[in-house]
Amino acid sequence: MLQHFDPNKDYGTPARVSENLITLEIDGVAVTVPEGTSVLRAAALVDINIPKLCASDNLDAFGSCRLCAVQIEGRRGYPASCTTPVDAGMKVVTQNEKIAKLRRNIMELYISDHPLDCLTCPSNGDCELQDMAGAVGLREVRYGFDGHNHLDAEKDLSNPYFSFDPSKCIVCSRCVRACEEVQGTFALTVDGRGFDSKIAAGQDDSFLNSDCVSCGACVQACPTSTLMENNVIEMGQPEHSVVTTCAYCGVGCSFKADMKGDQVIRMVPYKGGEANQGHSCVKGRFAFGYATHKDRIKTPMIRDSINEAWREVSWEEAIGFAAKRLKEVQATYGRESIGGITSSRCTNEETYLVQKLIRAGFGNNNTDTCARVCHSPTGYGLKTTLGESAGTQTFDSIKYTDTMLVIGANPTDAHPVFGSMMRRRLREGAQLIVADPRKIDLLKTPHLKDAIHLPLRPGTNVALVNSLAHTIMSEGLEDKAFIASRCDDKAFIKWQAFITEERNSPEAMQSITGVDAEDVRKAARVYANAGNGAIFYGLGVTEHSQGSTMVMGIANLALATGNIGREGVGVNPLRGQNNVQGSCDMGSFPHELPGYQHVADDEARGRFEAAWGVKLDDEPGLRIPNMFDAALAGSFKALYVQGEDIAQSDPNTQHVEAALKALDCVIVQDIFLNETAKFAHVLLPGSTFLEKNGTFTNAERRINRVRKVMPALAGKEDWEVTVALSNALGYEMNYNHPSEIMDEIASLTPSFTGVNYERLEELGSIQWPCNEQHPEGMPIMHVEDFPIGKGNLAITEYVATDERATRRFPLLLTTGRILSQYNVGAQTRRTENQTWHNEDVLELHPHDAEERGVNEGDWLGISSRAGQTVLRAVISERMQPGVVYTTFHHPGSGANVITTDSSDWATNCPEYKVTAVQVEKVTQPSEWQKNFEDFNNKQQDYLRKGRRSRSEEVGQ
Amino acid sequence: MNHSQLDQLIIMANQIADNNHLDTEAESIEFIATHIKKFWARSMKEELITYAKEGGDKLNVLATQAIMVLSEQYTSRST
Repeated sequence: MLQHFDPNKDYGTPARVSENLITLEIDGVAVTVPEGTSVLRAAALVDINIPKLCASDNLDAFGSCRLCAVQIEGRRGYPASCTTPVDAGMKVVTQNEKIAKLRRNIMELYISDHPLDCLTCPSNGDCELQDMAGAVGLREVRYGFDGHNHLDAEKDLSNPYFSFDPSKCIVCSRCVRACEEVQGTFALTVDGRGFDSKIAAGQDDSFLNSDCVSCGACVQACPTSTLMENNVIEMGQPEHSVVTTCAYCGVGCSFKADMKGDQVIRMVPYKGGEANQGHSCVKGRFAFGYATHKDRIKTPMIRDSINEAWREVSWEEAIGFAAKRLKEVQATYGRESIGGITSSRCTNEETYLVQKLIRAGFGNNNTDTCARVCHSPTGYGLKTTLGESAGTQTFDSIKYTDTMLVIGANPTDAHPVFGSMMRRRLREGAQLIVADPRKIDLLKTPHLKDAIHLPLRPGTNVALVNSLAHTIMSEGLEDKAFIASRCDDKAFIKWQAFITEERNSPEAMQSITGVDAEDVRKAARVYANAGNGAIFYGLGVTEHSQGSTMVMGIANLALATGNIGREGVGVNPLRGQNNVQGSCDMGSFPHELPGYQHVADDEARGRFEAAWGVKLDDEPGLRIPNMFDAALAGSFKALYVQGEDIAQSDPNTQHVEAALKALDCVIVQDIFLNETAKFAHVLLPGSTFLEKNGTFTNAERRINRVRKVMPALAGKEDWEVTVALSNALGYEMNYNHPSEIMDEIASLTPSFTGVNYERLEELGSIQWPCNEQHPEGMPIMHVEDFPIGKGNLAITEYVATDERATRRFPLLLTTGRILSQYNVGAQTRRTENQTWHNEDVLELHPHDAEERGVNEGDWLGISSRAGQTVLRAVISERMQPGVVYTTFHHPGSGANVITTDSSDWATNCPEYKVTAVQVEKVTQPSEWQKNFEDFNNKQQDYLRKGRRSRSEEVGQ
Repeated sequence: MNHSQLDQLIIMANQIADNNHLDTEAESIEFIATHIKKFWARSMKEELITYAKEGGDKLNVLATQAIMVLSEQYTSRST
């Protein structure tokens, strides 16, 4: 890979950016570096490796260990090279007898209070302390080991993923600084003074009971075995590594999968990954055990009805069975009676193949993706206003942001690594505005300056964004020059007349949003006057009946203030799953071919027809909710679902279940028997991200390689399964490797023409568009113009949702996510992340709790017009009165039994964020939960019987 | 609360109309018709066109007119 630096080397202190270059001499070697660079880093850049212990290039220099002492001509003593910035003409000596003696003395003191158990230590072979002892030539410890020491200090084994052994600690404080500077949690501290100094979590709590979020930054920073992954303690040091991309959220972190044979020992965030820059969260870093969990489906299974046991069969038989059923359904009910769903958890190549199979093999456009239920309004809203269905920035751009406006997103839980980058910028002084019904954790960032929280009522986003825009326009805060040069005149004049109407003012909207008008005006001024104002949003924007309108309202704000087209600004949709952007790019939506080319566009469709050798339908197909309605109406009869769990994740569960039961054939391709698979007739084993090659595209349009680190447990990667199904259906597909699929994508998708695996190896990653005009990709979009020419300010009339509080349902439920669990929880529930969140609960405000006589931990029945479920109560002031909150990570919780069929007017994205409910104390689970329990037990039994019959057969 | 497929299509069409009151009625109708044409499946359009032709009393005024525009487009396309 082409790198400006070696990501596997530690340069001691962070890189500095400066136009002023300084030349100095180190051990007689001339070095030129940016002003502000430390002597330690300057030396490392020319491969002069000064010993160090407390320094690391992801932490600010600290200067405590003194091991990096050097001599500088004309200066007294032995300055620490980590804290000494370079100076023009400086002459540095890094090695001589005096320095060597000094370093040996320092190491001797460290080692005098360190157990000499190197041969049996988990860090053996990967220990900086050991390396430095060797580097300085330590041969004896004159002080002996009989004095006061910490060798019997008690271990903290509370965290399920790593251990803390203070007997090995040298109190270099790298862990403390990593927690502060990299993660931004401030959970660790150095407690006590002098000899008594020790690392403590929180107020001397255990790691588990402290504020620690288990991101692993401290473990990575530790130069000894003090903080160590339990896997390494149990299994020993890895012997090789493969760089790949995390399969959790849309940040798309790069990791080194540290391996022993085909066993993953640990996942270490890769410093060369441009999205995460060496940081991680508890999910990506530690929660990979699901890949080898006993629940993995490793053999294909079939059955004639969902009321009978599964039969384990060969791949050939399962694929043949699936193809036969699909053909029979089409023969009976017509070409449009079948369809499929692609997955944002699968690779670009796999997603591309599924939609290709549907369009070319099934002969219709009934393809959709789970992005339907999360970010489809982003596609619609940004394409309408900016001309491209994607975020405008890099994550790194936040380093230049002066004000961040966060709307309907909870980055520290849902996009934790980017949340840490945000916190870092906030500590540096950026201002924060949060528009959210809940007080999200970003508002509790340590060292945050004044922040503005706009706690709006669920369902009133558009009213709020209009009143922000009204303030900007009526107070003359807009960027007139940008508007004149970059925005469509006619659209702007119309929009200006609309937005400045009094009914859009903060004062007029106050009774709708519940947000104080003066706070709205203040927020608008802060954003508009920011210098660089950036907007970050999540599902709290899109999952509404006006999700698309709100996305357009956000783009309007950015256009009106000129916050588009440079570093530090922009519109940044935070994508929920790892490949939401990619699944949309790859043509998963029923109306769009790959690259957002409409199926009715004769020229575009013609290219696909020529390449795929078939005639394609020029009409859009069914979207996911339309498929359910059509299934219940009897016209849609078969579904192929790859890597999605619609029975748990989609709203109005009882409606989804009824639709699935109405289908003649459900084919599920997944790594587990998920909730949807319980309604299936064919279960094809899926492969995890560790078992396949491909690419994911993250929220910043960055295409990252996914590399296979272990064999597919069931023998096939997901793309191979789709190829087999397609061939069995009579539509021939021939690929030997996902790189060939990417080559086909590039040949048909104008924004991908320059993308191929060779180029990805060379550049590390590519942010699309990557083509002749942008051969290395495009980090910041819309710098000079928009794909539609001028920015299109759209009219965003506020229309109240039908989901509103009534006498029968007086509270508003909003749903969300939590740090330790991911989406439907299929992966994280099968890891130790259960330690932090083993059930979904209902958060409600003390006022609402008191009114209903509810105490913490009570069982609460939550009813909506869609259904009822029962959850335990958590009383919390994070919610405003009248609003309750839950998560949907556990299937038995039935969070989506309550959510309704209300959806975005433009895209049908469900309105998960607003459901009118009533809450009351109950003593038993809901009817749905009882039925769920029975159905689940029955289906698990069918799975067990299927597996048993196969093993008996094999035994015979 | 489960609606039939037709009920749901009516809700969706009305919702598009409610969210897109443009400067003139003609502009609104054109927008709604274009949106449905661009994003809805053939079977959904056909079902709603049939319903509108039969009276379509649950459709709001703009949605009804948009569906009729769509109906004309599809009729002329098929002839």
